[in-house]
Amino acid sequence: MERQTVLRGILVLLLVVAVATPAALAFIRQRQPDLILKGPGVTRVGKLSEYFDGIKGTANDPDYYLFEGPEKGGTMIVWGGTHPVEPAGYLAPILMIENMKVTRGRLFLIPQINISSFGNTKIGIGDVDSFTIPTPFGSRKFRFGGRGTNPIDQWPDPDVYTNPITGQSLAGDESRNFNRVHPGHPRGYLTERLSYALMQMIRNEKADVTIDLHEAPPDRPLVNAFAVHERAVDLASLAILNLEAQGIKVRLEMSPKFLRGLSHREVGDHTQAMAILMEAFSPYHGPLRGRADEAHLLTAKDSFLVLASKMGRTSVKVPPEGVPIDVRVARHVTSIVEVANALTELTPERGIKIEGAPPYEGMVKNGIGAYLKQPPVGNQRN
Amino acid sequence: MNIYSLITAFYYVIVLYFAVMLFWQLITQKQLSMQIAIAIALIPFILRLLYIK
Repeated sequence: MERQTVLRGILVLLLVVAVATPAALAFIRQRQPDLILKGPGVTRVGKLSEYFDGIKGTANDPDYYLFEGPEKGGTMIVWGGTHPVEPAGYLAPILMIENMKVTRGRLFLIPQINISSFGNTKIGIGDVDSFTIPTPFGSRKFRFGGRGTNPIDQWPDPDVYTNPITGQSLAGDESRNFNRVHPGHPRGYLTERLSYALMQMIRNEKADVTIDLHEAPPDRPLVNAFAVHERAVDLASLAILNLEAQGIKVRLEMSPKFLRGLSHREVGDHTQAMAILMEAFSPYHGPLRGRADEAHLLTAKDSFLVLASKMGRTSVKVPPEGVPIDVRVARHVTSIVEVANALTELTPERGIKIEGAPPYEGMVKNGIGAYLKQPPVGNQRN
Repeated sequence: MNIYSLITAFYYVIVLYFAVMLFWQLITQKQLSMQIAIAIALIPFILRLLYIK
């Protein structure tokens, strides 16, 4: 081995490493947690692994925020971030964590349930990796992740994924899709173990209601809709009536009995809770869309979607002025509050009273940034 | 430890093996153009071993 050849080889490697370093740093930066500021109503913050230690110490052990009122009542568990490509799904619980309190019953909020999936973006799509919400004090930045658990945390994907409980078979990468692996398995893939931990939480806390927050592109039928398990129909219907009275239109969709692995089916079938999945509008992750940049994500102004809508190719009308993130988040926040109100109305002894959640009109008019808290100096993620 | 952890551990052993072999080729290859190509090929293996991507 010639010394000159060795030195030249190492030098070449160092040069190539230097070129690759910015990309490596970007990958590492994507795993930095988002800043979520604990509001005055939060009683306790914990880890989901308290309910199943099979996820303890892994990349998929998300935080939960408990709100417990002084008056006894029911229990509701709400999670966002099943799909981190659907930002209204996790911004809604974050806004609630930073603002609201519960005066009756208990509310568990898990804003970023598939936390591993925030550490990567969809491969080969060119999505943004984060977005910024303007606020009165400047701005707050949040990650925009992928649709499934980060492959660095769960590998390899099988050729075909068969849900171990339901037996339903799907494409292999769906083994990392948190809304296809329910009700989970204690010795399964990391995503299945995460689902199992959530099911254990729902059972152990004797949850009356669960809500899974999403966004859906307008070419799919489930937009501005609740997908509900059959045991949750009365509850969801009453909440929808109350939302309609406020001018917020929501469609009720029954959870199909043979579409398995989704939260609205499996939570309802495998636990005592009434399961609801909520979908707001998404401009971003469907096949029809314009340039996928940050402005597009936040405003949903998209001439392609408007044209598709005029041609009758979308399930909801897409307005030229877009569907801002403020409206999408406002729908989710208000819907959660109305489900709690409906639970109180239907079963007064198991009621939940939420106070101080940002009002719908306020979020739409002033923007959701008006309700995000200012981080302490030196604690801003930018 | 479950079957998936074992598969992942085995995978990292394979990655390490290829990384060492590529590095050996890098420091013994006489052609500069081949050294550059090998260095580029080595990067994904290094990133994997460092649990970055």
